[in-house]
Amino acid sequence: MAGYFLRRFLLIIPTFIGITLLVFAITRVVPGGPIERMMTQAQLGGETGGLQRSQGGGTLSEEQMAELEKYYGFDKPILTGYALWLKKVLQLDLGLSTRYQDPVWQIIRERFPVSIFYGVTTLILTYLVCIPLGLLKGMYHGGRFDGASSAVVFLGYALPSYVIGIALISLFAGYYDWFPLGGFVSDDFSELSPWQKTKDIFHHAALPLIAYLAGSFAVTTLMMKNALMDNLSTDYMRTAAAKGLGLGQSVRRHALRNSLIPVATSFGSNISLLISGSFLIETIFNIDGIGLLGYEAIIERDYPIVMGILVISSLLYLIGNILSDICVALVDPRIRFGGGVH
Amino acid sequence: MTDSSPLLSVEQLHVAIRNDHGISRDMVSGVSFTVAAGETLGLVGESGCGKSLTAMSILGLLPRPQAGISGGQVRYRGEDLAGASRQRLRTLRSAEIAVIFQDPMTALNPVHTIGRQVEEVLRLHFPGLKAGDRRQRVLTLLEDVGIPAAAERVNAYPHQLSGGMRQRVMIAIALAGEPKLLIADEPTTALDVTIQAQIISLLISLQQQRGMGMLFITHDLALVAQLADRIAVMYAGKIVEQQPAEQLFASPRHPYTKGLLAALPAAAEQPKTRLAAMTGQVPGIDQMPTGCRFANRCPHADDLCLNTDPALESFTDGAAVACHHWKKLND
Ligand SMILES: Nc1ncnc2c1ncn2[C@@H]1O[C@H](COP(=O)(O)OP(=O)(O)O)[C@@H](O)[C@H]1O
Ligand code: SF4
Ligand SMILES: [Mg+2]
Repeated sequence: MAGYFLRRFLLIIPTFIGITLLVFAITRVVPGGPIERMMTQAQLGGETGGLQRSQGGGTLSEEQMAELEKYYGFDKPILTGYALWLKKVLQLDLGLSTRYQDPVWQIIRERFPVSIFYGVTTLILTYLVCIPLGLLKGMYHGGRFDGASSAVVFLGYALPSYVIGIALISLFAGYYDWFPLGGFVSDDFSELSPWQKTKDIFHHAALPLIAYLAGSFAVTTLMMKNALMDNLSTDYMRTAAAKGLGLGQSVRRHALRNSLIPVATSFGSNISLLISGSFLIETIFNIDGIGLLGYEAIIERDYPIVMGILVISSLLYLIGNILSDICVALVDPRIRFGGGVH
Repeated sequence: MTDSSPLLSVEQLHVAIRNDHGISRDMVSGVSFTVAAGETLGLVGESGCGKSLTAMSILGLLPRPQAGISGGQVRYRGEDLAGASRQRLRTLRSAEIAVIFQDPMTALNPVHTIGRQVEEVLRLHFPGLKAGDRRQRVLTLLEDVGIPAAAERVNAYPHQLSGGMRQRVMIAIALAGEPKLLIADEPTTALDVTIQAQIISLLISLQQQRGMGMLFITHDLALVAQLADRIAVMYAGKIVEQQPAEQLFASPRHPYTKGLLAALPAAAEQPKTRLAAMTGQVPGIDQMPTGCRFANRCPHADDLCLNTDPALESFTDGAAVACHHWKKLND
């Protein structure tokens, strides 16, 4: 067991290198890198930006270009460039943003509280709602409750979460004015009491959280429902019935733990997805999170930021997967104690 | 067996299966038998003939919604269980009637220790029992069913035990509620031959100690010979013959039973032999003939057999047979 998880942890290293090397190579191969981007910006600045830009001279000279390429390491072959990048990452240096010239780590760190808040809250709410809902739907499959809730679940599944976001914001923040139009907190946040602060955060968070939930809701609910239904027809559930247990009792004592195994397995990938957020929802609700940052960084060819976010989200993903394996092992003694007599 | 009324009396039981198109058809049609206290009835028939459906309908354990009782009665000590409420059935399960299933690999919950799975029955049916006494009782039960080093095994998970040990655990679970009737649905089919013999002798001794009635289901006529007082032979959803065990082996009356006996190896040491050595196919649920269901495989079938379903006729010697021509064939 311990040996297995040690191996899993060691496997993070090659997987991490594989993911980052692939993306690093892509950033080198795809046309329109950050230098070209800066040139275009400079040109645009020269034409439209008025005084301050035009003084800097419209275009960059060949020398300036070469200097920039050298500065960002674009003059070296991919592998050498990657090795240099990796070496810096190991020293916890993610480099400088080509757009802002600020350290990447600092830029990402500023967005962390917002993203972690939404990620963790969505994750908790998803499991808190979807597990009981999926269980009820599975226990009373084909009944009235199952039918009615399926309508809601499938609506949430069929509509993309940004559509739900736009609908929510137009209705409850635009038309009715019950919720703020966006942002993470109010402008006067720092003057509020702790209780008011909490209220303020959730007041802002209610609509985006619903939009986030709508996205993960259907999948987790149906996963839970199907897992339970698979277990309801097992022989050991028939044994439970033959003992004299009622449906509720036998689900609680027998099917539940077995049905949680697939949900526990999906936990790892959910962690990284939720921390990295959705740029569409962040755009709609004007939330300055990591999803939006990553999206803008890709559009603007701010590769140090792209790579920085990749480092964090791939590490979360890899560690999250090991965490789910540990969860599964906790639930399932066949994994915890290995093969038995056969 | 001083009690004149039987412990269990199944009367004209019909069990319907609903197919994917929502059409219900009787898979078990008009099965009747009784089990007296302390007696073992062997229910024998080819795989798929409806033995498990019959057994599961007794305690309302039929797979829903595909299967359901569509007629007849199941009387336990006079009370009709076919029409009983779910609540009533739950109080009878384990406490009055217990079941052992075919596959001990899947019948136990993989995520709970075996001790906990036995203990659960005690919690449910003896709520007054103190925790310490309950644990002691679990150990006693595990010892009773022949699990060595029970004090250690009690904390084992099912996957850590062999198939035979798991089936012993299932038997301990079945005995925990101190039932008066035990339904054993092919309890040894999934086990290899030596283990099979051990489990059979365990069941025989437990049944005798506790004076339980037993409904023992198998496809293996040689196996049932070892423990049944009476044997009912089932074919395509119906009972075709019933006799006291020795009498059945000495003078089978139904052509199907004769065929089964003829197919048995002379050496009784090989109990693993399959029933079906007869040619022809069992009619499917959708093509049940109006006449005798065995007609397409029976060497003695005539027009009467093809047109009219023979009724199960009972005799004073405890035998019953459903064949138009049995008398003529046995002269
Ligand atoms: N859950 C089910 N769904 C559909 N058909 C079933 C189901 N259970 C049993 N049957 C049908 O009923 C027939 C009899 O089944 P069963 O009583 O299990 O036979 P056996 O005599 O082998 O125990 C099977 O051949 C099968 O076609
Ligand atoms: S009724 Fe006819 S077909 Fe059926 S078993 Fe008897 S002889 Fe054979
Ligand atoms: Mg069966």
